[in-house]
Formats: sequence, C-alpha cells, structure tokens
Amino acid sequence: MISVRRKVNRESSRAPHGARPSLSGFALALPPLLLVVVFVGIPILIGLTFSLGFTQGPNRVISLIGQQIHIKSHWWGTFAAYSDVLHDSRFLGDLALTLVVTSISTVFVIAMALGIAMYQRLIGGKKASVLVTLSIVPLFVPVVISAWAIHTFYGGDGFMRTLFSHLGINFPTLTSTPVAIVIGSVWTALPFSILMISSGMQAIPNALIEAARDCGAPTPKIISNILIPLARTPIIIAASFTAIGILGSYTIPLFLGPNQPTMLGVEISNFFGAYNRPQQSLVMAFFVFLAASGIAILYVWQNIKSARESGRI
Amino acid sequence: MLKKRIMQSLALAAIAALGVGVSAPASHAVSQTIQVYISADTNIQDLWNKTLIPAFKAAYPDYDVNVTFDLHGTHDAQETAKITAASVLHKNPGVDLIDGGFVTTLGAAGLLYHPNPGLLPNIANVNKAVLKAGLGGIPYRASSVLLAYNSKNVATPPATLDDLLTWIKAHPGKFTYNAPNGGGSGYSFVQTVVDKYLSDADRTALVAGAAPSLESKWAQGLETLRQLNKFTYGQNGTYPANNAETLTDLATGLVDMGTVWSDQFASALKAGTMPANIKVTQISNPSLTGGASYLGIPNSSTNKVGARLLANWVLSPAAQNLIVSGTLNGFPVIPLSMLDPKATVAFTGVDIQHLRAGYISANANDLKSAWASAVPGK
Repeated sequence: MISVRRKVNRESSRAPHGARPSLSGFALALPPLLLVVVFVGIPILIGLTFSLGFTQGPNRVISLIGQQIHIKSHWWGTFAAYSDVLHDSRFLGDLALTLVVTSISTVFVIAMALGIAMYQRLIGGKKASVLVTLSIVPLFVPVVISAWAIHTFYGGDGFMRTLFSHLGINFPTLTSTPVAIVIGSVWTALPFSILMISSGMQAIPNALIEAARDCGAPTPKIISNILIPLARTPIIIAASFTAIGILGSYTIPLFLGPNQPTMLGVEISNFFGAYNRPQQSLVMAFFVFLAASGIAILYVWQNIKSARESGRI
Repeated sequence: MLKKRIMQSLALAAIAALGVGVSAPASHAVSQTIQVYISADTNIQDLWNKTLIPAFKAAYPDYDVNVTFDLHGTHDAQETAKITAASVLHKNPGVDLIDGGFVTTLGAAGLLYHPNPGLLPNIANVNKAVLKAGLGGIPYRASSVLLAYNSKNVATPPATLDDLLTWIKAHPGKFTYNAPNGGGSGYSFVQTVVDKYLSDADRTALVAGAAPSLESKWAQGLETLRQLNKFTYGQNGTYPANNAETLTDLATGLVDMGTVWSDQFASALKAGTMPANIKVTQISNPSLTGGASYLGIPNSSTNKVGARLLANWVLSPAAQNLIVSGTLNGFPVIPLSMLDPKATVAFTGVDIQHLRAGYISANANDLKSAWASAVPGK
C-alpha cells in the first residue's frame, strides 16, 4: 500500500524539471517572512516580556493604565502574573472547557466532512455535487450573523422550544451551555473541512478504487485502506486548522456559551477589557499559544512526512 | 542614466510629500474639522450622528465634525493608551472631543483640558457637584438604571431592594440582569446588591477612588447574588450577555422584571420594540445607580477651540432639548426650567437630580471580575 501511495504522490507532486533553488526564489519568500517577524514576532516577544513583569520601554503605557500589574523582581522577571492566573478559580475551568469544546467540535467536523467527501467520491452524481455546494454555504455567512441565528433558534423562546412545546415536549434551552458552543463551532468550521477533504478525495485515482473493487474489497475496506490513507494530508490539515480556529474563537462562545466558565478567547478579552488586567490576559494568551503550538507541530510533522514521501526533501 | 532619473523623480516626490505634510496642519479647512470619539452603545451613536451633529452644523456651518465610533467601548483601554502616549510624547492624539466612560479615567490621570466658565460659558448652568465629579470631564447628559416590570403580571412593583430580592425568590425564572462585564444595567444591579451591606463611608470611598482594601467587604453581597442563581431566568446561573438582551427578554415576555437603562428603555418604547405594558420604576434603599455622562477634551488635542465650541453648544438649552426629546430620551444636565416643558413631562416621578453614583472604574473593573468568579454557574 505504501509503495502505491508513494508512486501516486511522486507522480503528482514532483517539482518541474529545471527548477532549482535560487536567490530570486528566496527574495519572493522574503516579504511575508519579514511581515510575520515584524508584525507578529516582535509583538509576541514584547508581550512575553510584559507577562514576565518588564514594565518599561514599549510596555510603559500599558503598565500605567492596567490594574494588578506585577513588576519584575529578578533580572529575568517574575512569574507573579502566571501564578495569579493559575490560582484564579476561573482559569482551570475555562481551560478545560476550551480543550473539551475544541476536541469534540473537531471530531464532529472531521467525521461529518469525511462522510460528505466519501459520499461524493464513492457514489457521486448530481445529488452529491449539490450537497457539497450547499454545505459550503455557511462559509459565506458572517460568524456574528450565524451565532445570533443559532441563539434565536435554540434560545428560551426559540424555534426548537416553540415547535416541541406544540407537541407537548419541553425541549431544553441550549443557549448558554457548552452544547451551543459546539453546535456553533461545527457550523462555522465545517465548510472549510469539506472543501479540503472532498478535494483531497477527488484527487485519488479511480483506478485504485476500481482495482480494489475488482479484487472483491468491500466498501469499508476501500475507505479504510485507500481513501483515508491517501487523503491523510488534507485530513490532517483540515483537523489542525479547525482545532486552532476553535481554540481561539471568540464570537461563538460569547454569544452562545455560559457566562462562566467560558472559552479562553472570551476570558482573555474580559481580562483585557472589562477587568483591565492586561498582564493576566497575556498570560492566558500564552497558554492558548502553547495549546495551538501543539496542534501546529502535528501539522508541520505531517507536511514534512508527505514531502519526504514524495521525494521533495 | 535611467537609474539617475528615477532617483531624481523619487527625491522630487519626497520633497513634494514633505511640503504637503508641513502645510496641511496650517490649512484652514483641516483645523475646522472636530474629531469626536464615541465609545458607547448604538443609541449614543444615533444621538450624535442623527441629532446633535446635523443641528450643530446648521448652527456653525464653518465646522465639520468627524465621528469615530467604538461599540460598547471595546477599545477603551487602547484608546486610553493612545491618548496617554500622545500626551507623553507631545503628539496629536487625533481626537478633540471624547464621549465615553473612560473620560473620568483620563481626567484622574490629568490628561484633560479643564473647563471653566470663561471659555465654556454654558457650564455655569451645570450642577457643581456633578461637574466636580468629572475630574475635568464636562457632564452633558445623564441616565439612570431603572427596574422594568411587566404591568400585566406585576400589579405593584417592589419599592425597595429588599422587596425586590423577596419578589425574585417568590417568582423563580422571572427576573434577570445582564452580566456586569457586558453592560451597565446589569452592573448597576450587582453594585446595588453589594452596596446593601456596605456603610455610607465605604460606598463613598469606592466611588471616589481606587480602594482595593474595601473589596473584601463585597463577599456578603456576592453571596446574596450567588443564592439568586436558582431564581433568576435560566435558573442555573446564566445571565444575558448585554443590555440589549435584557430588553429583548422583557419585550418577548420571557421575564417579568429586569434592570434597564432609562434612555435605552425609553427609546425602545418609542420605537415600538418594547410593548406599552412594560413600565419602569426606581427602587430605594439603596437605589439603582445612575449618573452623568462626560465629554472630555484631551490636553494634547490640536483643535481645542472647535472642541470647546461643540461642548459649549451641547450644553445650550437648544441642544439639551434635543437630548431629552430626540431618539435618546436622556436626562438633561441643566435645570428643567430652561428646557421645553413639553419635553420634560416624562420626568415626573423620577428624581433626576440626585442619582446614586457608580464606583470609579478601577473598583468597577474589580467588581465585574469578582462577580464572574463568585456568581455565574456556581
């Protein structure tokens, strides 16, 4: 199987003959690299120093305004703000909710995207194309609008409760619960995953599936031995992008989640704005950053692996 | 050759750009534009854009007003930082007049131009105590949080805070207030319950300045609020996210009682989004909070003349009438006797001169945080 995958990958993605690394190629990559270093890298470094209690230089103004600012007590700074956050009764609940919502939503998104992609790949036809097109629609609905729509749909006087009350059933109010955050996150993240995974599956040559069928392989075997392994790269890309997106989400948990515990995106904003504790909000941001880095490592590892298999490195 | 020519034209362009940069601030048209920064809800945005600014421009055709709007004050901290930084570095902050909750914070930090009757004549009509509380801010309208109730289901509304707490426990699921970090009407209820257990001296201290040592005295009030979790709407310690959601819950009949801003409620009633059977009242002992909203002119503003002119005009009887009777339905800051009697009929029964003040922002921020730790979902 592995040799088949290698061969397919080799033929489909080898660099054209005559292309070689050059200075002009590096120059092309330079502007985005510089942009990331200047506008993302440096602010992160400044943020890190502020979270450690460096309150001079670029951090002077925010230190004048913020409340509960800790000033460094050693040459390397202080962990006082980190200790504040870890000892805050809200933080662990928020972190747990963020991680649980992220994992459950990602599993749902990938499972549903796989279902639609496989339907289109194995059965196909007009109906499948219409289904895929329809499932992309949420991509064009702004998150604020969809969050509010979901809020009115599952709210105390929403459609679901009204409908079930006519049938004599007391449907639970889902808004202000983690369930509503999962519903909202799946709604917003699904289209991208469907696009990624279904296009990945479309690229799998028909010959492979037909050969397996000729040998008498049942559909589950074709899915587990051909479709999923060959679409592994787009699946992992979709999963990591979905997870990182949900991890840092703000609008959906703000509109649909409970006041407390809430997801870290909302809590960071509360600490920065409503409670005016910029240092503590930065500390939380670094925890989210760590969690997102974990997911990013998975993504990079997969990229390197597939590049190695196709002989690019 | 070509390279040289390009260099020459670049140098010329740079000189031209410099020339424009130098001459622009001196030009007449630019200095006549007043930069107004508003940090508030959409009703205040409408007040400025649809009512005050058109009337001001009609009175002073030479002036142009440019509004920057920040919904719910999401960027108050950044804007405060920007104005602080501009003042420290002696740069133009790009703002001449601010309408927002952080004006008093800027005043406390000494970043505001102090108004005086010599340069701002209409300020003489404003209540001295309210003016003093602004720390350099110019009070221009007031509003109060009130208790809204559904008159169909509630015959006699509670008159005191104790009555209200008893009513909430007797009618599970029929009262709500929004999370204090999402809007002032819910915040006011939280402060009022917390204040119930504080002495007058402690309350005054929390209004006047940062007082972290008094914050431990909030525990009893927060415990009272926590015990309300199973009686408020939602019944498992969940609260509406903002002012607007409380209004919607009242209008759709999900709740029978809730705390609302006087001006937002009056506007909703006028617009028809709030049914006429929802009425408002004030409770006592202690009452729900209210107060003036302040305008601020940053020290570093480059158009103080224009900002002063606009602020002075806003305090004139003509503009105050617009604030009272327009879409906002705000409280005026000058004596009712100077205003159109038809517009002020609505204020019979509500004491608009003696509003109970909210905490200074440093304490208010800590109370919001303390509420989030102690109350929702506990």
